[in-house]
Amino acid sequence: MKEKNKSITLFILPALLFYAVFTLAPAFGGIWYSFTNFNGLNPNYEFIGLRNYEMLIKDKNFINSILFTLRFVGIMVILQNIIALILALLIETRTKTKTLFRTLVFMPNMLSMIIGGFMWMFIFTRALPYIANILNSEALNVSWIGDPKYSFIAIIIVSLWGGVGYLMIIYVAALQGVAKNLKEAAMIDGANTFQVFRNITLPAIMPAITIGIFVTLNNSFKVFDVVYSLTGGGPGRSTQVIALNIFEEAYSFNNRFGYASAKSMVLFLIVFVVTLIQLIIMRRKEVN
Amino acid sequence: MKKILLLLVSFMLVASLSACAAPQDDAPRKVTLKVFMTFPRFQEQFEDYFEQFKVKMLAEKNIDVTIDLEMPISDQADQILKARLSTNDAPDLFTLHAIADIPSYYEAGYLSDLSNQPFASELLENVKDIVTYDGKVVALPLESLAWGYLYNKDIFEKYSLTAPQTITEMNNVVKVLKDNGETPFLLAFQESWIPQLMTALAIGGVVTSEKPDFVDRMNAGTASYTEIAKIFDIIDIIMNNGTEKPFEVGNAAASADFAAGKAAMWVQGTWQAQAILDINPNINIGTAPLPVSENVNGSLINLSVSTSLALSPTSKNKDVALELLNFILDKEASSALFEELKFNPVAKFHDYEVFPWADEAMSYVALGRGYRDLSLPGAVTGEQAKLLQSYYAKTVTKAEFIATIDEVWANSLE
Amino acid sequence: MKMKAWISILVLFILVTYSLFSLSPIILAIINSGKTQGEILTNILAIPQNFKWSNYVVAFEKIKFTRSFFNTLLVVVIGCTGIVLFSSIAAYKLARVKSKLSNFYYGLFVFSMLIPFHSIMISLVRIANVTKIQGSLIGLGIIYIGLGVPMAIFLYTGFTRSIPVELDEAARIDGCSDLRLFFSIIFPQLKPITITIIITNALWMWNDFLLPLLMLPNSKNYTILLSTNILFGQYGNNDWPSILSVLIMAMLPVIVFYIILQKWILKGISEGALKQ
Repeated sequence: MKEKNKSITLFILPALLFYAVFTLAPAFGGIWYSFTNFNGLNPNYEFIGLRNYEMLIKDKNFINSILFTLRFVGIMVILQNIIALILALLIETRTKTKTLFRTLVFMPNMLSMIIGGFMWMFIFTRALPYIANILNSEALNVSWIGDPKYSFIAIIIVSLWGGVGYLMIIYVAALQGVAKNLKEAAMIDGANTFQVFRNITLPAIMPAITIGIFVTLNNSFKVFDVVYSLTGGGPGRSTQVIALNIFEEAYSFNNRFGYASAKSMVLFLIVFVVTLIQLIIMRRKEVN
Repeated sequence: MKKILLLLVSFMLVASLSACAAPQDDAPRKVTLKVFMTFPRFQEQFEDYFEQFKVKMLAEKNIDVTIDLEMPISDQADQILKARLSTNDAPDLFTLHAIADIPSYYEAGYLSDLSNQPFASELLENVKDIVTYDGKVVALPLESLAWGYLYNKDIFEKYSLTAPQTITEMNNVVKVLKDNGETPFLLAFQESWIPQLMTALAIGGVVTSEKPDFVDRMNAGTASYTEIAKIFDIIDIIMNNGTEKPFEVGNAAASADFAAGKAAMWVQGTWQAQAILDINPNINIGTAPLPVSENVNGSLINLSVSTSLALSPTSKNKDVALELLNFILDKEASSALFEELKFNPVAKFHDYEVFPWADEAMSYVALGRGYRDLSLPGAVTGEQAKLLQSYYAKTVTKAEFIATIDEVWANSLE
Repeated sequence: MKMKAWISILVLFILVTYSLFSLSPIILAIINSGKTQGEILTNILAIPQNFKWSNYVVAFEKIKFTRSFFNTLLVVVIGCTGIVLFSSIAAYKLARVKSKLSNFYYGLFVFSMLIPFHSIMISLVRIANVTKIQGSLIGLGIIYIGLGVPMAIFLYTGFTRSIPVELDEAARIDGCSDLRLFFSIIFPQLKPITITIIITNALWMWNDFLLPLLMLPNSKNYTILLSTNILFGQYGNNDWPSILSVLIMAMLPVIVFYIILQKWILKGISEGALKQ
């Protein structure tokens, strides 16, 4: 056993080294700061124990940002995976244009989301109103960024735009792995398209769905770029997601870096618990 | 696959070797200064100016200076500077916002006393005052500002209007404009710092003319925003007589709209005038103080200094850094630089021509109608910005606004 | 599976619509990259009368495109090489050896995928400073290795598990040492997933903004995205014609890169992550 362990450690050593120095150590640094009142600037700060954590429980803005983010995450997980799966299914039915559509759908993923956010901001604030005027449409002519009801939708649209591509590729790969002969056998037995999908395809791609949900959960909880460039969290704080709340706490006017670190820890714990639950539940459902 | 890997690794090796700079041949005393400035749009101008400095240093003092200029945009500059300062990687010279940053940076020990430097005695009085803290001059002012709100001179002339000096006069102006189908105010609330300009000016006017010790008493915990609730008088006028869908309009879009004459007035500072002119060179822009009451003396121009240059106490080449600092306000070379950057004069010897709106603003100041920008806690100005957005969206009432700000101010004192 | 004609047309319609949606911001960027600043702000949907190709030339010079291109390339090459090399070796043992220790290491690596970047940012800067790698492009590449290893190990471990153990055993009978076994037998089998990992990490590093901003004070070392910095003026007065031109120019190598390698992405993902 000892020999085995030694060889494991040897092989993982390079990776572990880089990882420990540049990810683990800073993570512990973050944990340390969460117990202090460091303001990001003054090298003289004090250790204040759990006070940051006591404060954040009562922080209305923080709690609201958590609730807002939960709404966002819930909708994103469902929509993003369904849309990606549907697109994957549809693309798989094509023969000659398969590659073309895959590339087109994946294109947004090749852009930086900050730039993508800016582009969409232009579309919502300048292009859509213009089109709405031409078509005389009331529905399009709403305040996409200014009205919290609609800015939420705007954020969802842009997030989907930027995220679906990656998931679609995972699902396409999964679909291609579904044994063709199983499907054909089922069809010969008289099953229609839906039954084939439900009983053969779906169970076979369960691992991919688990991953898709995992990735969406993880990314949605941490969403920052899209909201930052689209609404900046506004108007007021109506679209402020957790990551934005933390960012402002640390770097904008508040300068409460230690406090922000504590909030980061809370965010991490939430994501950790939720994804753990998700993985456990879905692993049980997977077909071997 | 192995081949590709081999190629990658050899590329890496070659690249890393070439990245090691060869040591330079000997020269007079070599000094490298790290300068951190938040003006990426002026990178060329500063690089040219520093070239002049290098020539001067080599000729006069036989010092070969290399200047590492770091110029991030101000959005991230804050984070980066703080990261550098707090990890002991301070640049020799760095810019900071005089009003907002000097107190906290001074308390953290990152500023040096520059009171005895040659440039300090050349500064204009009201400018020098703003970069002085704890009795010492702690930074060299670069961008000094004198601002109120902007107005379209052509529109005003068309209806024979003059800049209003009281609320009553403002109401008249608004009425005349609306009767003639013009929109009085441009509203651009997408970027929250723009509506915050309204509170800055309104609070400045009310406090300076009626409650001069307000800020001190707030800092002592013995005051409340209810005392200055009248700031909402002018704010309401602006919000109720402005352009539509302000949350869709950011600074750039608003400048385009103002340049196109979509509104007669815009609560925005003179720093934006150049951008507006770039879009429409034919527009005539004026600046006027914002009225807050019936008292003409409450209608004031805001005087402040934003970007200023400070010296790090941990600089290893203080003497050369100080030379550079003083060179920025060099009696011969400085005027040309400031004129090119289109900055307002900060020194007594600055004698270049300024923009008409700058003159207009200073004409008010000459009559005593200027006030030094108030020093509110950063958390308060930030919260005001957001609350104004919510106030416009009618999700927050005046009472809630006042209560929240009182609370935020109290919290910031801890 | 044969489809009825009308269903096929419906499917096509949906795909085309979605593709337009996908492309719309990019099309908008292309259209507007040929206008002046004033034209962009006044009417964003108008097709420019005279497409100002000069915007591209001006932007190219303003941000020193060639230099920033090679800077970015250097970082990406270093980062990807390190990630691929170290993660695949680590994953080999983590996949093959089933013990408490290997599970522990696996968990140690993978859990950090959940950590938000902002929490580790300042400490990371401090460490980079102390280890004196801050300020260099190579240093940036090294940091990316440390940050990218978790996800790569996650994927590599999955894929390696799907390689039949019989291959290992056959090689060992021939007297192969561990390391040689890995390089001559296992690693070639990992080709598809390696390419996947290279593509995803390259994309990430190519478009990353905040980390390079913190690590590269000298504008001579700027990556492409970073050098657009100079185009974002104060108070939101951004030089949009240049920004959009740069955007399109920066996308082109990425698109080419992707199209060439895209066959491999699917193979990589299907056999990698799914066989956990």
